[in-house]
Amino acid sequence: MSSLKEFINKKQRELVVVVAIVLLTIVFTALYPAYFSWNTFTQILQQATINGIIAIGMTFAIISGGIDLSVGSVFAIIIVAVGTFTAGGLNPIIAAVIGAALGGVIGSINGFLITKMNLQPFIATLGTMSVFRGVAYVITGGWPVLNIPDSFRDMFNHKIVQGVPNSVILMLILAVIMGVILNKTRFGNYLYSVGGNEEAAKLSGVNVDRTKIMGYVICGVCAAFAGMVMLASLGTGEPAAGQGYELDAIAAAAIGGTRMAGGKGTILGTVLGAILLSALKIGMILLNVDTFYQYIATGVIIVLAAYFEFIQDKVTKMMAKNK
Amino acid sequence: MKDNIVEIRHISKTFPGAKVLDDINFEIKRGEVHALLGENGAGKSTLLNILHGIYDDYEGEIVLDGKSVHFKNPNDAIINGKISKVHQETNAIKDLTVGQNVTLGYEPVKGLFVDYKKLNKRVNEILDELKCGFRSETRVMDLTAGEMQMMAITKALFHNSIVISLDEPTASLTTRETETLFKVIEKLKSQGITVIYVSHRLEEVFRICDRATILRDGHYITTLDIADTTKEELIKNMVGREVSSVASRLKPSCVKDEVVLKVENFNSHGKFKDINFELHKGEILGFSGLVGSGRTEVMRAIFGADKKDSGTLYLHGKQINIKNSNDALKNGIGLLPEDRKTQGFMTLSTNIDNVAVSSLEKYMKGFFVDNGKKLDNCNHFIKELDVHPPRADYLTKNMSGGNQQKIIIARWLSTNADIIIFDEPTKGVDVAAKAEIYRLMEEMVAEGKSLIVVSSELPEVMGISDRIIVMCEGCQKAELKREEFEEKTILTYAIGGDKNE
Repeated sequence: MSSLKEFINKKQRELVVVVAIVLLTIVFTALYPAYFSWNTFTQILQQATINGIIAIGMTFAIISGGIDLSVGSVFAIIIVAVGTFTAGGLNPIIAAVIGAALGGVIGSINGFLITKMNLQPFIATLGTMSVFRGVAYVITGGWPVLNIPDSFRDMFNHKIVQGVPNSVILMLILAVIMGVILNKTRFGNYLYSVGGNEEAAKLSGVNVDRTKIMGYVICGVCAAFAGMVMLASLGTGEPAAGQGYELDAIAAAAIGGTRMAGGKGTILGTVLGAILLSALKIGMILLNVDTFYQYIATGVIIVLAAYFEFIQDKVTKMMAKNK
Repeated sequence: MKDNIVEIRHISKTFPGAKVLDDINFEIKRGEVHALLGENGAGKSTLLNILHGIYDDYEGEIVLDGKSVHFKNPNDAIINGKISKVHQETNAIKDLTVGQNVTLGYEPVKGLFVDYKKLNKRVNEILDELKCGFRSETRVMDLTAGEMQMMAITKALFHNSIVISLDEPTASLTTRETETLFKVIEKLKSQGITVIYVSHRLEEVFRICDRATILRDGHYITTLDIADTTKEELIKNMVGREVSSVASRLKPSCVKDEVVLKVENFNSHGKFKDINFELHKGEILGFSGLVGSGRTEVMRAIFGADKKDSGTLYLHGKQINIKNSNDALKNGIGLLPEDRKTQGFMTLSTNIDNVAVSSLEKYMKGFFVDNGKKLDNCNHFIKELDVHPPRADYLTKNMSGGNQQKIIIARWLSTNADIIIFDEPTKGVDVAAKAEIYRLMEEMVAEGKSLIVVSSELPEVMGISDRIIVMCEGCQKAELKREEFEEKTILTYAIGGDKNE
């Protein structure tokens, strides 16, 4: 009993998002009974995959006390780079490994600018967002990369589980791995410390620069995986892809309870945040709601999520008082 | 006019899980300087916060100048109650001028625009009255800590306050600034203004206060006339038992001949120059000097937190290169920073994580950090260092100053650091916890660790050190052996004089 209470206390935010998803499902099912089906469920997960993977990485950047606005552009570089490799006949597994590594290298550039050159994360990644986008265009001369071989596409699109493409399973595996890294490794412990109070972490002997750089490397790797999922699903590599994706990723992290000032946040929360956004979108598409209203609804959810944090705090305090 | 300006009647306040004030009753007389004393966690700050409208839900009644009042927020208290609080760490908007800060929200206007001429004239009048060296037009970022405090007092006077509270006003002031503050307090008193004075430094209470009210564990203990009491009596009432207030060594010195750390020609432009000293095994080496004399900067450079321009460091006779704080940790050098709140602990973290952060490699199980081991380690030190409340899962920020310091000590004891630098180890720490921290230091040197203690409190640095280095304006001014310790000598060096002057 007490361990259940403890669990609820610890995972409050995540539970709230789950409740929101359940409520949303009830409302949509009432309005459109076919919504409640395995098919819709897998669609929601599929729709959440790209944003979810980027948001997992974004969570690392935000917990460190920063932000990464360049993820959409990193995403595009990986799409055209891996697209070019595979279209050129490179083994798909090797191409994917190179893609992920490249994402990490690009992420380390952000980390370098932020730590060694002391730039504000917002400004540094605003700059690299533009630079990386330009690089993506330069790689292909502005044209999309065509003829992505099926061997590469199948790796992500094949459905081992009925109706669930491998890319969704990739997101879940990444979520587990990144969750373990964040919670169970020294790096993860340091990341929370640095985000919670950078000066105190430094004066505790934490290698602040290395920790932050690692955070951005992971953010880049995640953006790379998301790019490859996109490349596989579309079959073409578009250098203009991923514009505005950084905002969706930040939204997912925020809904999941990641503290924008750093030091707090979970991977589970972020993934649930991405799923909530996706469920909302799929539901509205099924109900034939105009795209314009989808934007409004998404925005309202983000603001409500932020407001909820405030209410949650008050409720916790009141409950403690009545005890 | 009533004799009592403030009457505290049956005030109680409950926080989630704890009653922090329990039926407090006492009076403050018009025009007196009234000290509010007690250990950290005794309820002084809570009481002040109620008086100044920061907390508005409490039981009981406040009577101010004969009228029952219940302020809704600090602004209500300042404007309608004429009662102002000068904060421990003065919050000011650094980019604005003194005048703008003082009049914030109540600027005199001419039509739609702020009347800066009138604003600066009024503020300068008050500054002149207080004999302040800065002007209304000065930017706040150019002020020293002491001047910021004067600005806060100016603000209280601007709002015609009749009661002004000072919460640990001298904690970050130099000796000279403290003297200035005392003169200002006497001036306020002569104008009939009542001052409520919260401080851990009892010497100051005897200098300027008329009466003192003592709280302990949320209870009212007594109110004493300062003229008829002694330091020992105050302490006894605060702590509830006899404690020595003075830093002293109870065990014999443990200094060995072996030099563990040698600092050679440390230089950092604008901060310090030509710093050379040796630290012996088992030694407590004191660093004295005025606030801003460069002591903290030297320590941060040794620890690798800041870069230095030149200098060599030898550890056990071997030259080492410390590029960042992580190198220091690996070489067994620890640092307890001066400002616990902003530098000492992670605000969002529990005691478990704040203790474990520097020694995570100890709690590994395979690739992963084992939370159970972290918890065991934290509980071990909570017991060892007698941390209150003994809760590993508490957020460190919710603990009292002394216990926060113990958590940070536990952090370094968890590592294999054998050289530990304490920067202002007892700042904001109450009397009983101070004594405990001194005992811990003695235990550490007895175990063969070596300590450097930076302190602005002369009795502390003289009581605890084996040797003292005095700094002045970034330079090493003197090195004193225990038999040469004397307040006058240290102060003379600290203000740049020579012994024979």
